Amino acid sequence: MQIYTRRRANNYLIVGLSLAATAFGILFLIFVLGTLLVNGIGALGPTLFTQATPPPGSAGGLINAIFGSLAMTAIATLVGTPTGILAGTFLAEYAHGSRLGEFVRFINDILLSAPSIIIGLFVYAILVVPMGHFSAWAGAVALAIIMIPVIVRTTEDMLNLVPSALREAAAALGAPKWKIVVMVTYRSAIQGMLTGVLLAIARISGETAPLLFTALNNQFWSADLNRPMANLPVVIFQFAMSPYADWQVLAWGGALLITAAILCLNISARLFASWSGLQK
Amino acid sequence: MSVSLATTSPPRTERLMQNGVSAAANALPVKCHIRNVNFYYGKFHALRDISLPLHDRRVTAFIGPSGCGKSTLLRILNRIFELYPGQTATGEILVDGQNILAPGLDLNVVRSKIGMVFQKPTPFPMSIHDNITFGIKLYERLPKSELDDRVEQALRRAALWDEVKDKLRQSGLGLSGGQQQRLCIARAIAVRPEILLLDEPASALDPISTQRIEELIAELKSDYCIAIVTHNMQQAARSSDFTAFMYLGELIEFDETEKIFTHPREKRTEDYITGRFG
Amino acid sequence: MTAEANMVAIAQRETRRRPAGGAGDMVFHGLTIFFALVVLMILGGVIVSLFYGAWPAFRKFGLGFVVGESWNPVTDNFGALAPIYGTLVTSLIAMLIGIPVAFGVALFITELCPTWLKRPLGTMIELLAAIPSIIYGIWGLFVLAPFIQEHVEPLLIDTLGNIPVIGLLFSGPPLGIGVLTAGFILSIMVLPFIASVMRDVFETVPALLKESAYGLGATTAEVVWHVVLPYARVGVIGGILLGLGRALGETMAVTFVIGNSHHVQASILQPGTTISAALANEFTEAVGDIYQSSLIALGFILFVITFIVLAAAKLMLIRLQKGAGASA
Repeated sequence: MQIYTRRRANNYLIVGLSLAATAFGILFLIFVLGTLLVNGIGALGPTLFTQATPPPGSAGGLINAIFGSLAMTAIATLVGTPTGILAGTFLAEYAHGSRLGEFVRFINDILLSAPSIIIGLFVYAILVVPMGHFSAWAGAVALAIIMIPVIVRTTEDMLNLVPSALREAAAALGAPKWKIVVMVTYRSAIQGMLTGVLLAIARISGETAPLLFTALNNQFWSADLNRPMANLPVVIFQFAMSPYADWQVLAWGGALLITAAILCLNISARLFASWSGLQK
Repeated sequence: MSVSLATTSPPRTERLMQNGVSAAANALPVKCHIRNVNFYYGKFHALRDISLPLHDRRVTAFIGPSGCGKSTLLRILNRIFELYPGQTATGEILVDGQNILAPGLDLNVVRSKIGMVFQKPTPFPMSIHDNITFGIKLYERLPKSELDDRVEQALRRAALWDEVKDKLRQSGLGLSGGQQQRLCIARAIAVRPEILLLDEPASALDPISTQRIEELIAELKSDYCIAIVTHNMQQAARSSDFTAFMYLGELIEFDETEKIFTHPREKRTEDYITGRFG
Repeated sequence: MTAEANMVAIAQRETRRRPAGGAGDMVFHGLTIFFALVVLMILGGVIVSLFYGAWPAFRKFGLGFVVGESWNPVTDNFGALAPIYGTLVTSLIAMLIGIPVAFGVALFITELCPTWLKRPLGTMIELLAAIPSIIYGIWGLFVLAPFIQEHVEPLLIDTLGNIPVIGLLFSGPPLGIGVLTAGFILSIMVLPFIASVMRDVFETVPALLKESAYGLGATTAEVVWHVVLPYARVGVIGGILLGLGRALGETMAVTFVIGNSHHVQASILQPGTTISAALANEFTEAVGDIYQSSLIALGFILFVITFIVLAAAKLMLIRLQKGAGASA
């Protein structure tokens, strides 16, 4: 009986610890989000969206940073989405079992988890240095490079889920391969692919490191893509590390905005995925 | 039917074809001659020297135990096997005199003349209307009204029109299994193929849907040359005019259905039909 | 060759030679290949540009760069020891805390949690991963660091700081920011990644296997330890390596709380620096070729380290899939 009581105690211990671990994780989630809400709410107000970033010691808003982030995210999405989808299509539809396919997949996964600051260094070297200055274009390219592997992965996974019988049925009608892919396979997988794009957008919305050496930052309102452009993550970085209370408040406000956007994107991606799953 | 023999065809198959089939059957027009077809999955010799005719406006059933190669043979007829690397077919398949296995042919054009319906219903993720027009639009440029007519014709012929005429714009995925399969049949006949290949079309369906599919086949046969693979012997006996029994990649016996099921010539055929194996 | 084999050879040659049907097919196929090659070119470009930028520093300092501690922009004398050390130590702390906690979370979600709670819990853990690192950074700076400074570090100094040898790890004034805080934040950040992979791998264990263990009267802890973990061993290691890769490269969260000191110190309560933090803090103000090149060299070293870790993780996961395929 002694063996059993010891085993049972051990079990309770492990179960208790795993419960504690889960509670730990959830606790920190709530803690972080809660702090964000409490500190960021103070910054929310109409001026946040109407004024540009102020010099130290005065009040202002984040409109230039918000615009910059939106603009660069949009450009990155426009560049990264077709690239990622087509590369993912290559892996799923044309590269079965081929060595090139395996190699591309391997490299893609390395890129997927590579430190984003390295990507920033790379874009600095190939765009900022030749151009001679920082720019929003460089920032958008850096963000696009971070998006691409995510979209490649999700596109490939979603396309592989489409049953081969569907492709065969289209082929049996005499459809050429590209029509099968575009008109049948894509249509079948479109919801999963869009979810992947949404998640990729969420991923780049919070990225700071790649923008540090590409888009840099801009104190003033600017819509010139050829010049450094303000963006929320770098502004938060600069303002939070500073000793000025006004700036710190704005930093929290910006952090709240980014987090809210990312959570919305994530949740809507999830809802979209399960809603479309229910439709079938 | 006087079949001009290629010198490489082995005598046994020709004896089967000439002696067993009745003179009346021999007089029917042949839509498709399968001649000395061999098939390889990589190095594995899966089909050995298959030769038989497919008669026009008749149903030819392929029966045999699992793995005997009947589906493989069907998939050679529209060269759908070529979607996958490493699979090769040799021999000739003459459709109206033209060898469709010849190299240099446009595969897609070949496939557009031979319709196929698969084991599991495969409606495309589009509206019912678009499912049917998908195949038509690949090769014909028709005004909208004519497209709509073709859709209605195909759906009527597939005995589906009454059930879906009010919901043509709805997704094909919303139909029941039996309806989806009839949709696939409608989709296949909408392009007016020369031959219709059915690969176990009712095996995924309930008995009532199965019965309706069989009735449909009986009607369609007046317009098409139909080849059907089935593991259901009773279905073959009921629905077909000619039956080919295959075993381990070889054609064991080919004859009029009635003869196969009442006095088969080969012992193996008899064993299979009486349920001694498979 | 027999006539038949000859025919087969001819047919196979024909099949290989037949072009894709039509111009549309060639264009589309070409597009997909092109963009797949873009992915390759990006990685190739990263490696080449990093090495090219780092070359002046490597040439000047040689391999001594990796072990040099001095970091002096005035005399242009740079060494990577402090950043490398900081990167490795913070990641180690992150793993030491993160792996057991992630294991506990994965265990809870797969074995212990009631069904209605599984989905929301899983989502919450994934939301932890979705929060960008800069948020963790400012939270760490304003909330966690003061907390650690006031409550955790004095405790550590008073208790563990007095034990010989180990005490060295916990010496010095309580600053709040430093290696320990950075490691702790990293652990919260890698926790959801490792937990997700572990959960996915645990769920691939066949129910039949677990049921036979339960049927013999084993407790949950025993089933997980003796049945689930060994079965999922390779996947778990792959997940851990993925988390490690993340920790090594993490920038913003660490930059806020690491303290940015280019000194190697035994105590984890003291400030330090990591490769990514050094880059984030100094790159835009680095004047002088050698200074900039040294920073890029740091980036190159980081890339090599993460590449090795990620490649190892990938190879393990591939081996896992092949093994599963073989046994299925």
